[in-house]
Amino acid sequence: MKIVTRREFLKSSGALGVAAAAGSVGDAFGQPPLMVGVVHQFPIGDVGWETQHSLATKAMEAAFPGKLKVTVVTDVQQAQDAERVFRDLAAQGHKLIIGTTFSQMAPMLKVARQLPNTTFECCAAINTLKNMGAYEARNYEATYLGGVLAGRMTKSNVLGWVGAFPIPQVVWRLDGFVLGARSVNPKVTCKVVWINTWSDPAKEKDAVSALISQGADVLAGSPNTPVQGVAAEERGAWSFGNCSDFSKYVKQKQLSGDLLDWSNAYIEAARDVMAGTWKSQSRWRGLGPSGYTKMAPYNSAIPADVLADVQKREKDIIAGKLHPFAGPIKDRDGKQRVAAGAVLPDAELRSINWAVEGVEGAFPKA
Amino acid sequence: MIDSIVPILIVTLGAGTPLIFAALGELVTEKSGVLNLGVEGMMLVGAVVAFITASNTGSLWLGVGAGLAAGTAIALIFAVLTLTLQANQVAAGLALAIFGAGFSAFVGKGYLGMALQSMPRGAPSLLSGVPLIGPILTELHPLVYLSWLLFAAVSWFLYKSRSGLVLRAAGESPTAAHSIGYPVIRIRYLATLFGGAMAGVAGAYLSLVNAPLWMEGMTAGRGWIALALVVFASWRPARVMLGAYLFGGVTITQFFAQGSGIGFASQAMSTLPYLATIVVLVLISRNLTLIRLNAPVSLGKPFHPDR
Repeated sequence: MKIVTRREFLKSSGALGVAAAAGSVGDAFGQPPLMVGVVHQFPIGDVGWETQHSLATKAMEAAFPGKLKVTVVTDVQQAQDAERVFRDLAAQGHKLIIGTTFSQMAPMLKVARQLPNTTFECCAAINTLKNMGAYEARNYEATYLGGVLAGRMTKSNVLGWVGAFPIPQVVWRLDGFVLGARSVNPKVTCKVVWINTWSDPAKEKDAVSALISQGADVLAGSPNTPVQGVAAEERGAWSFGNCSDFSKYVKQKQLSGDLLDWSNAYIEAARDVMAGTWKSQSRWRGLGPSGYTKMAPYNSAIPADVLADVQKREKDIIAGKLHPFAGPIKDRDGKQRVAAGAVLPDAELRSINWAVEGVEGAFPKA
Repeated sequence: MIDSIVPILIVTLGAGTPLIFAALGELVTEKSGVLNLGVEGMMLVGAVVAFITASNTGSLWLGVGAGLAAGTAIALIFAVLTLTLQANQVAAGLALAIFGAGFSAFVGKGYLGMALQSMPRGAPSLLSGVPLIGPILTELHPLVYLSWLLFAAVSWFLYKSRSGLVLRAAGESPTAAHSIGYPVIRIRYLATLFGGAMAGVAGAYLSLVNAPLWMEGMTAGRGWIALALVVFASWRPARVMLGAYLFGGVTITQFFAQGSGIGFASQAMSTLPYLATIVVLVLISRNLTLIRLNAPVSLGKPFHPDR
């Protein structure tokens, strides 16, 4: 795997463009390796969103040794830059180009329309094309299990949620969390604070302090940093991580977390493109061996019966016997959103903008 | 609501602290006649160097010291450019802000996204029995106390000490100060380095105490807020303190309000700290004569002893 930043990439791409495509090495059968481009919005750190994509790239390379030639471009922050990078990658001969974030959808749609012979995959995209697929995680399945843990471990019956932005991807995680908690402990409420930023760790910490001061003793949320867990641990509160496993920073008090694992998305895309069987689809998967999300290691302080309950529910979710958004579900204003016996349809879940019963605090009007 | 007051105060004092360090440092710099717009950049470099040092040594105070040194070093670049080489202060300051963001990202490459274990704070517990103030005082980080000390020191220095008078003279009329034998350039150098050092400590506070992790651009505009505070506080240390705590306080209060279900759109509430701080400071500083008295007359104007 070669990692380049946007600047280095743009500098070299003009000169090397065709040479890179021509100079590729063949495998034993004389077939040239598949060139794959992965485009990150930010640099790859120790933990967090970009890291999880980077792990998937590594898994993909390990799955097809010698058959892939992967270029990773990082720090492509602006959509306009992403468009150029996609185009350059395609011109260099990359047959599969993977986008790692929602904000790359628009530029990717534009480029994919013009380059029908290149295959594109975009994380969290809501639109697809004939040559552009989408992959997204049903991480509410994991936050539901996190909610079950939180509902059983809380002493104050108050949970806290630090949200970045009230977008569907965050709201379904929050709703899943609260549904899980109230399935085992109907007295639980969850206080929500929106900080309206992905990247202000100091604000994140202040929001955690505010929530803990208001009685929350299990914290969860959407910012992809270990700050929340570290701040909660400092105050003796539990936390449920997200994105990456933060247990190396939150040594004592991380219950578990919902991990993003895109390996299956990457590996399947590369496999299908190589076999010529790739078809555009919008893949939305949760827990399970072929899924995109996993539970972080469980804290050893979780009582055995609680753990057994969570693990049983995990099996049921994977088997399709348990759906976190199975009715009856009321929203926080008391309006019934899902009838008993029904399940919230995927289309509505993908654009969810209402909070379930038990969510307290400011919430944008649905 | 009454029970919330103590926690709100504690978090507010914490949230205002990095602004106080950065703004008081910049205040001293500007009082000497130097306008350094690179506070954000100096804070970021201070933050990353402090984080790297603390995560390798495990010592909070070594980290703070390293952040201070790094901020000073970056300010030295600015000082050489603008005071010795007479470069334009505004342009050099903006360049410094951009340079600091890029340089800190480069230096912190191997530490991106890492976090520190929470560190022992060792706050005094003598006063823990006192109602209301007791729990606040014991919860505070020692750096918060140091920021109060800094406020006292800066106020005393600027308005009660002879050297402070000389520093202000360098900012009011460098030619006059020079003609009666004061080394204007050296004074401005020291004031600029002091500003850098305090910005470095502010950065260290963010990456070590407030959120113990390194993330690119983690100061999230606090350097610019510190700059604005100095202006809106009309160069008065006490008003800088007020502005910093007001800003922190409104930020925190809106979190509490959200958590207890009071409030309207969180996006609108996020703008409140900026609005409230500016409105209050503009109102209390609206006396034009006083602004003219407090603003360093030669702010941002280059001075060369030979001219």
